[in-house]
Amino acid sequence: MKLPATLDEAVAALTAMPAAVPVAGGTDLMASVNSGQLRPAALVGLGRISEIRGWQYQDGHALLGAGLTHARMGRPDFAALIPALAAAARAAGPPQIRNAGTLGGNIASAAPTGDALPVLAALEAVLIIAGPGGGRREIPVSHLLAGMEMLRPGELIGFVRVPLLHAPQVFLKATGRTGPGRATASVALVLDPARRGVRCAVGAIAPMPLRPLEAEEWVASLIDWDGGRGSLVPEAVTAFGEYVASACIPDQPPAADGAEQPLSPAVLHLRRTVAALARRALGRALS
Amino acid sequence: MSSETSTAADPAAGREPEPAQGIGASLASAESRAKTEGTFPYAADLWAEGLLWAAVLRSPHAHARIVSIDTSHALDMPGVRAVITHEDVPGEALHGRRTPDRPVFASDVVRHHGEAIAAVAADHPDTARMAAAAVIVEYEVLEPVTDPEKAFEAEPLHPDGNLIRHIPLRHGDPAAAGELVVEGLYRIGRQDPAPIGAEAGLAVPRPDGGVELYIASTDPHADRDRAAACYGIPPERVKVVVTGVPGATADREDASFQLPLGLLALRTGCPVKVTATREESFLGHAHRHPTLLRYRHHADAEGRLVKVEAQILLDAGAYADTSSEALAAAVSFACGPYVVPNAFIEGWAVRTNNPPSGHVRGEGAMQVCAAYEAQMDKIAKKLGIDPAELRLRNAMATGDILPTGQTVTCPAPVAELLAAVRDSPLPDLPKDTPEDEWLLPGGPEGAGEPAAVRRGVGYGLGMVQLLGAEGTDEVSTATVKVHDGAATVICAAVETGQGFTTLARQIVQETLGIDDVRVAPVDTDQPPAGPSCRGRHTWVSGGAVERAAKMVRTQLLQPLAHKFGMSTELLQINDGKITSYDGVLSTTVTEALEGKELWATAQCRPHPTEPLDESGQGDAFVGMAFCAIRAVVDVDIEMGSVRVVELSVAQDVGRILNPAQLKTRIEAGVTQGVGVALTENLRTPRGIVRHPDLTGYALPTALDTPDIRIVKLVEERDVVAPFGAKAASAVPVVTSPAAIASAVRAATGRPVNRLPIRPQAAVAQ
Repeated sequence: MKLPATLDEAVAALTAMPAAVPVAGGTDLMASVNSGQLRPAALVGLGRISEIRGWQYQDGHALLGAGLTHARMGRPDFAALIPALAAAARAAGPPQIRNAGTLGGNIASAAPTGDALPVLAALEAVLIIAGPGGGRREIPVSHLLAGMEMLRPGELIGFVRVPLLHAPQVFLKATGRTGPGRATASVALVLDPARRGVRCAVGAIAPMPLRPLEAEEWVASLIDWDGGRGSLVPEAVTAFGEYVASACIPDQPPAADGAEQPLSPAVLHLRRTVAALARRALGRALS
Repeated sequence: MSSETSTAADPAAGREPEPAQGIGASLASAESRAKTEGTFPYAADLWAEGLLWAAVLRSPHAHARIVSIDTSHALDMPGVRAVITHEDVPGEALHGRRTPDRPVFASDVVRHHGEAIAAVAADHPDTARMAAAAVIVEYEVLEPVTDPEKAFEAEPLHPDGNLIRHIPLRHGDPAAAGELVVEGLYRIGRQDPAPIGAEAGLAVPRPDGGVELYIASTDPHADRDRAAACYGIPPERVKVVVTGVPGATADREDASFQLPLGLLALRTGCPVKVTATREESFLGHAHRHPTLLRYRHHADAEGRLVKVEAQILLDAGAYADTSSEALAAAVSFACGPYVVPNAFIEGWAVRTNNPPSGHVRGEGAMQVCAAYEAQMDKIAKKLGIDPAELRLRNAMATGDILPTGQTVTCPAPVAELLAAVRDSPLPDLPKDTPEDEWLLPGGPEGAGEPAAVRRGVGYGLGMVQLLGAEGTDEVSTATVKVHDGAATVICAAVETGQGFTTLARQIVQETLGIDDVRVAPVDTDQPPAGPSCRGRHTWVSGGAVERAAKMVRTQLLQPLAHKFGMSTELLQINDGKITSYDGVLSTTVTEALEGKELWATAQCRPHPTEPLDESGQGDAFVGMAFCAIRAVVDVDIEMGSVRVVELSVAQDVGRILNPAQLKTRIEAGVTQGVGVALTENLRTPRGIVRHPDLTGYALPTALDTPDIRIVKLVEERDVVAPFGAKAASAVPVVTSPAAIASAVRAATGRPVNRLPIRPQAAVAQ
């Protein structure tokens, strides 16, 4: 177990020991260790790297350290900056998990149910990756989650660059219970008045967050960006929900003989849930 | 909370002030502090010089033929001391709680996912696990039978056949018919007892060729006998020492590691320890019976029940375990605490390749309660009668007859309980304002939308038996010793969290007037007390402790009474002082003892029962307990998410022995029922246990648990029970799922015929 104090030291430690596994909050990693699925040869602890445990501002963006815990992101000062990410962090599990689990860990684990992921997808966040020799490169978060670009050996997620939009943002999550639980579906929706855009991502229903781009464009075209944004008729908000849901959970293609293949009741319920989440999210963002 | 509701919520209101000691005191458990601080030693904390670690190889298939087992690679690994399979069982190859039908290690066939095939002892837990994984087993995978309905027609999964028990209960006139008929098909999922402390144990070989097992057993003598039979040695050379049990709502029986543990210790001559992982814990112990129920109720125009017809199918999993008892409870209580003149109930427990089912508190009774209460809601809806009123019209009372032909002789204040929950004030409706903290369905950070939330109120009435049924010899033996001003209770009744040790201390305090009472740790050198289940120890072991304490009291007072020429009945013991009725004589217990030790041992054996006959008739039960629960739920009718807002409980407890403990037992039972109703279902597609962890298997958290208000505790003493007390833990588990389902039905208008309630079943259509 190594405990480097800077990002570059951590990268150096990882490069020196290719079999080592980086560990931040350990909420996913240690569960795998305890269940015997993973027995890392060595660990590089990221908990002492103070530069990635806070955030800074950069040209209208926030540069979030990958070591930010969910508990820290859930606090009111952070919520004033990026409300959807704060809401996702507050919903991310029981207090013990939120105190330990980090933003970078959520991205690195890339679990379908990771609550921060749809928010980062909707915000079109960019990851700043620290590499050997002090190198830095940037990857859009969606590229990493989709597997279009991967972390190379020795690389670590250092920061997440997120735009500061100064407009309503919503994160909503459906779980099977009242207590903290994994999402069965989640929706992140952000308004971007400067670019006159609505961006929405649906989490937990696919291996990575899904963006219903056509539905976003359609609803953005209906919003009166210069006047009161709340003037959208309720029917349009409902239609947006349906649009998002059918884009993310499409109908089955007809069978070879042209017969319709209905969705199973469980999938239909999931589609209804996504529609309700998206409708509620847009309603709240515009109210 | 208004003053009115707080009075109603406090069942002790209007009673005499609580005593500090003895019966009726809220005595705290002697272990509560150590357990809270984490210093209480459980089986997983045990250690012995030179111990080895065990690991068990379990089947990855639900149904397969074993072609070959090759242990040579595992044996060759450095640090591995022994690898054992079915060939290394010196004694009985089969064991079982009632029927010996389960192999210690699978030999030719594996019948469920997680069945033990081999065990390894090594000098490090990781080595043991790796060695277990290195045992090469060649399987011929067979098609699993996972649908209990198909078990009747399927090839026999076991030499004993697939039908474990069939009870065709016939009571009354088969031609009877009502003006109104309602039907329903209900499914209950697979609850896991999910003990937070996973199974663990330590086996230490003895110089005489025997072995000591340090395990969290809930039935030490039965576990000892089974182990001795398996090891092929006499029972007196096996000693089971009960370590602290980290809570048990079911049998903490996992013979798949208890038996190999002792075998490995005998084989290696070294102490052997095992601690189960969470996954092994889910795979190893018995679950609640998944159940399929078909019901047809006949009622007259006023809603009085005329006839109940039902078919009840319990999925017993691969082995019989206690399934025949669960089936007897399910069939006998299939009509609930209602007067039903004609009943025709067919019950089956069948073998499948699913994980084995067994004792989980309220077994059998819980599944039927969810179904008959759904039927009562249907009748009420059809007739347009208030659901509580319909239930009141049919409520059972003392003197009524069960469908088994047995007369209910114990107190059965069913109508009183139901009226109490019905008449207690409803929780306030939330006001939709930002200041108002309204926990919406979906949780504090969920997606709840006040406009989509509907509130529903529903009722459940449940009943359970309190002791073993159908001729089980329910007996317990206890010894009370008094020496040096302190008393010790020696009784092999295991404290599983049900609170028996605290009750035993209170009983001795009450009888002997000695405050300092200790309860000795349990092992099998003590006389047997039977299993810890159904709260039976309150009755049988409590009764034995009381008798023993009374015998000690007589021994203590007899010389004094003789000296003063008065009966022992005229002497009282209080605060360590002995006084005569007129206050003339006064001495202390210490003086009366004169340094002597007083010992007495007594037994309690309740009224015998008889097995159900071929038409399901017979006096099969001794005592019964009843409970009424009113559930208030909020349902998000678009998402189908449910939050239980409040559960009001009225329960028939006979007599309150320890108010604080009773309250926690009821709250714990109700909460376990919330899990059955909403989240707990161990999924086993094609017989393979999915998500055997506490993330995938959602136990209720504090946020899932509603306000639990105990509105009434009816103290009507059961004359045949010691102190008149009834065990309190099981009946709320039985009743609360039915009440929650009833409330969701009221909120959504949906039939809700499956537990746990899936979100798509709670969406309004």
